[in-house]
Amino acid sequence: MISQFFILSSKGDPLIYKDFRGDSGGRDVAELFYRKLTGLPGDESPVVMHHEGRHFIHIRHSGLYLVVTTSENVSPFGLLELLSRLATLLGDYCGSLGEGTISRNVALVYELLDEVLDYGYVQTTSTEMLKNFIQTEAVVSKPFSLFDLSSVGLFGAETQQSKVAPSSAASRPVLSSRSDQSQKNEVFLDVVERLSVLIASNGSLLKVDVQGEIRLKSFLPSGSEMRIGLTEEFCVGKSELRGEEKGSVSPWGYGPGIRVDEVSFHSSVNLDEFESHRILRLQPPQGELTVMRYQLSDDLPSPLPFRLFPSVQWDRGSGRLQVYLKLRCDLPLKSQALNVRLHLPLPRGVVSLSQELSSPEQKAELAEGALCWDLPRVQGGSQLSGLFQMDVPRLPGPPSHGLSTSTPPLGLGPTSLSFELPRHTCSGLQVRFLRLSFRPCGNANPHKWVRHLSHSDAYVIRI
Amino acid sequence: MTDPKYFTTNKKREIFELKAELNNEKKEKRKEAGKKVIAAMTVGKDVSSLFPDVVNCMQTDNLELKKLVYHYLMNYDCEDPDPLIRALTVRTMGCIRVDKITEYLCEPLCKCLKDEDPYVWKTAAVCVAKLHDINAQMVEDQGFLDSLRDFIADSNPMVVANAIVALSEISESHQNSNLLDLNSQNINKLLTALNECTEWGQIFILDYDREAQSICEQVTPRLSHANSEVVLSFLELLPKDSDYYNMLLKKLAPPLVTLLSGEPEVQYITLRNINLIVQIRPETLKQEIKAFFVKCNDPIYVKLEKLDIMIRLASQVLAELKEYATEGDVDFVCKAVRAIGQCAIKVEQSAECCTKVNYVVQEAIVVIRDIFRKYPNKYESIIATLCGNLDSLDEPDARAATIWIVGECAERIDNADELLESFLEGFHDESTQVQLTLLTAIVKLFLKKPSETQELVPLTTRYSDNSDLRDRSYIYRCLLSTDPVTAKEIVLSEKPLISEETDLIEPTLLDELICHIGSLASVYHKPPNAFVEGSHGIHRKHLPIHHGSTDAGDSPVGTTTAMNLEQPQVKPSQGDLLGDLLNLDLSSPVNAPQVSSMQMGAVDLQGGGLESLLGSDLGGGIGGSPAVGQSFIPSSVPATFAPSPGPAVVSSGPNDLFEFSTGIGMAPGGYVAPKAVWLPAVKAKGLEISGTFTHLQALQHMTDFAIQFNKNSFGVIPSTPLAIHTPLMPNQSIDVSLPLNTVGPVMKMEPLNNLQGAVKNNLDVFYFSWLIPLNVLFVEDGKMEHQVFLATSKDIPNENELQFQVKECHFNADTVSSKFQNNNVYTIAKRNVEGQDMLYQSLKLTNGIWILAELRIQPGNPNYTLESFPHCVFVKFVKDQMVVDVWLSF
Repeated sequence: MISQFFILSSKGDPLIYKDFRGDSGGRDVAELFYRKLTGLPGDESPVVMHHEGRHFIHIRHSGLYLVVTTSENVSPFGLLELLSRLATLLGDYCGSLGEGTISRNVALVYELLDEVLDYGYVQTTSTEMLKNFIQTEAVVSKPFSLFDLSSVGLFGAETQQSKVAPSSAASRPVLSSRSDQSQKNEVFLDVVERLSVLIASNGSLLKVDVQGEIRLKSFLPSGSEMRIGLTEEFCVGKSELRGEEKGSVSPWGYGPGIRVDEVSFHSSVNLDEFESHRILRLQPPQGELTVMRYQLSDDLPSPLPFRLFPSVQWDRGSGRLQVYLKLRCDLPLKSQALNVRLHLPLPRGVVSLSQELSSPEQKAELAEGALCWDLPRVQGGSQLSGLFQMDVPRLPGPPSHGLSTSTPPLGLGPTSLSFELPRHTCSGLQVRFLRLSFRPCGNANPHKWVRHLSHSDAYVIRI
Repeated sequence: MTDPKYFTTNKKREIFELKAELNNEKKEKRKEAGKKVIAAMTVGKDVSSLFPDVVNCMQTDNLELKKLVYHYLMNYDCEDPDPLIRALTVRTMGCIRVDKITEYLCEPLCKCLKDEDPYVWKTAAVCVAKLHDINAQMVEDQGFLDSLRDFIADSNPMVVANAIVALSEISESHQNSNLLDLNSQNINKLLTALNECTEWGQIFILDYDREAQSICEQVTPRLSHANSEVVLSFLELLPKDSDYYNMLLKKLAPPLVTLLSGEPEVQYITLRNINLIVQIRPETLKQEIKAFFVKCNDPIYVKLEKLDIMIRLASQVLAELKEYATEGDVDFVCKAVRAIGQCAIKVEQSAECCTKVNYVVQEAIVVIRDIFRKYPNKYESIIATLCGNLDSLDEPDARAATIWIVGECAERIDNADELLESFLEGFHDESTQVQLTLLTAIVKLFLKKPSETQELVPLTTRYSDNSDLRDRSYIYRCLLSTDPVTAKEIVLSEKPLISEETDLIEPTLLDELICHIGSLASVYHKPPNAFVEGSHGIHRKHLPIHHGSTDAGDSPVGTTTAMNLEQPQVKPSQGDLLGDLLNLDLSSPVNAPQVSSMQMGAVDLQGGGLESLLGSDLGGGIGGSPAVGQSFIPSSVPATFAPSPGPAVVSSGPNDLFEFSTGIGMAPGGYVAPKAVWLPAVKAKGLEISGTFTHLQALQHMTDFAIQFNKNSFGVIPSTPLAIHTPLMPNQSIDVSLPLNTVGPVMKMEPLNNLQGAVKNNLDVFYFSWLIPLNVLFVEDGKMEHQVFLATSKDIPNENELQFQVKECHFNADTVSSKFQNNNVYTIAKRNVEGQDMLYQSLKLTNGIWILAELRIQPGNPNYTLESFPHCVFVKFVKDQMVVDVWLSF
């Protein structure tokens, strides 16, 4: 069971403190936690800490520390799960989770905590169920404006789609819309994939891994049913494809299947129509919900978005290091990658950088012992290059003579790329349709916002 | 009073007065008013309109007044029409942890427990636990516990869950720790609630009673829960002794790996758990090694954990290769050995790559020094490379390591004196560690090559202000000047091999931690009692000894517990492994005998230690019999006996079993006598035990042998003295046949077929204990009358009936039948039901016990189903490579 829960700001100031069992050392505990956290040596994990019979388990969310303490040997998985649910809950009820929203809604947060935990035992973490008990309305900093693009959350983040959801539209509390009917009927559906890639120095692919999820944020009245149609060729597991080779017919067994290794669904998803038509049916509660999670490794249906062709020349004698990077974007011609940043760690002591970049909008700089090459926009099928020259005095290592192209100097690489791929999923999974059975009694039809987005998790190319 | 108007005005006036008094400046007045309000309330007057004024009074440091206020609040709020308010009151009041308040809490709580709203109940249930913490006696007296028990049957799962929470919380500090009788009725109620409540509630319910098997079965569907974190929480709640758990542990790996895609915090917890699993069951994760590849954006603590796991998995791969290297197929072995060589080369290559980054070199040199110590005189080829890098070293550790190597291998390094001299130049600037090492290295060099080093020896350490250094150099000087030979002996003496594998968790701790998978203990890698105080916390069971009775035919699942116990001991450590890989040294002592011989001292005739000794030496050879022992022992197994049967059963394929009928199984050697191994063998008439003596290590010859058995279940005694007339010389072995009969004194043994005995010779008395394979006790008149068979089999209670499969037997019913008959197992009847051959069989033991069995053979299916009627024991016996498991009845 849980002794205490508290939320600290990123600077360690307590925003929320709740003691459930009266067996703790009071508010000093929060301070103790922060002291311990900041006093840890770098390689020690702060996830679970232990001090005089009290265990601290925490997560970081939106710059806040959400911490629970317990004195028993309980399951850390459960506690972490609880913390992340709490984060979702607070986000649902306060609009978004952040230092400002929390401190504006202290009463609401305490009320929520009271209902979520009694005597340290979890009662419920369902946004829907809690609505019956919660009275306080969230305090929102400013009225929502369609033109307010300052705060960029996951939902409604800037995209290049023709219809752009207002960026802050999704970050509003589930309860506060009681008074404001005009914004009520909206639903946001995101297909988000994270791509991890590891490419060896010889260009061979060591590891590919796609983690995807379909997330829903609904402001529709609870209980309104919706149907999400996925790509019909979607299939799960390796066996289904193999079965096809053996000749057994599967209904979606034509063309290149959109395959994932593993899928898990939220417990509220009704899968009756999934086998036959790849349709998910659900009656989502208001608030945020991960409808489906999936992952895929090794076999990507499409080529990797980026290939990098580096060549390195270095002259030990003069200390001159020349790096030529050619980046090819293998996305479909119509797609593009945004906010591409290439990060190349350099040998210690690099002093100067001269560069020749293939287009003017690119930028390159030295930062923290690494080369950062920013490419705000890379069109599919395009090829970009950069030539970088650096001076490296006192390059350590055994002496060698003349130019060397075979062995890279020490401390160089590996390259990592970060990027966003709007309207692109690496697995190929698409949402075909989002249908609502909900018919509003009043004015407008509900707004439906569907987005597809991939971004890099760890895209590493060894040199 | 009959005039209602008068009444109300009167009342109004009274209220008004009270209102004024409650807002009075003086504390005393307010207190008095408070008392009046309570009094009015008690007699049934409506004083609810005073609410704001009473609440105002709460802001006081007067305890008496405060109590009155609380009383007022509870009274009114607990009767509020809104259940939310009623619940809120109970919840809040329960949080005021003052003993004196409790008496005010009592009555409202009573009301709430009888409320009509489930939301109030569930809050009240928790409140009982809160109250118990403050005033346990009151909870007892008021019968709140009964209310909680009643809640178990409630239709609202939240109420059930909270009642369970309260009960388990109370039972921790209660003298009667079992507050809820878990009869089938109650369990059913819990199960009903389990299906409906939130996952948190499910956890509470599971937490309360994790031993009820039915709950486990009910939980199974939850394991496919969408949220793998919930799955893990469930898993953690399962009883740790069940086969089911072991099965789950195997299945655990993939979901755990899935969790690695989560937040770093979850990743870390997951990795810590995987780290445990990987130590007992690396095979489950071998496929997943890519998941542990480090990502560039992982936090450092995640990276370190991943690395740790990869090292463990890598050593598993090497272990695998070593296994291959001992197989029979020559080509395959060659390939495997070559693969090991390639691994070594790869490592060296990568080491060479590393030499270019300074800090890596330094770390590497420290490692190389350790390797030198571990495997002296093997890798000197690397010295040259090493000497080339001397200048770039600036870490004291690395410098010291290099110096050590130079000193150690001085005779192989031509310019050793120059190298050391170069270090000497900056001697005073070095750290103490380097100075000491340098000193020793120079002395070594001097002893090895006296001619070249003369000028180095007059060391400058005399004036050092470091006493360690000064003293050591003084000792060296004395040594060298007085007795160079002794000095050589001391300084250049064989060094003890360094111990390796500091990072493996000790097996017993590992076992305990495995029991705590998914808890904080598994994250800290510390036993729970190291950080949880008192009796709090989840009580978990230790891994008990596995009873392989029900599914021994399906051993991989059934015996995994035992494997867990064994594996950490046997699993070669990485460094150790390297040695083995390079030597392929088969003469080195095997692990198990070493362990056993340590137990020897304490073993007496009755003790279980020898069983373990013999069991672990011979387990592989005589697989069936330890299984007998296992099923004989319900739960009170002597600890020493525990680890050995497991592997035996695991390895007991038909071939293993067959070995024992050949009569000889040798311990791999390496431990002190007794080397006597006693193996009963079947002869056509009567019994014989053929024993084998092997004399491996003792330096003396042995004479004057005699043998004696303890009383045993079957009255087995030697019918003639042990006939060994010639002395047994070292490394000689003698085969002796010892006829036995079954007329000796009978005493029931645990296990039943346990035979204990002693062999005496001129040196000492050696005790042994062995399990008689039951098939030697089958008598020829074991054929039961058809009618008797029918009657008897009906008499046997159903619960004694056991069933299992015999795998991979390619015989038809007739062959089986005749093979059985050769072993005095008689077929009473045979019939064909739905294409399956049914054999009904009986046999009889020397002491008159009958055994009945039914063997079902499906033509074409090599797996036979054997159904046995009786309670008791099974034994595996062997004839012509066919294994049949038979259940005995008596």
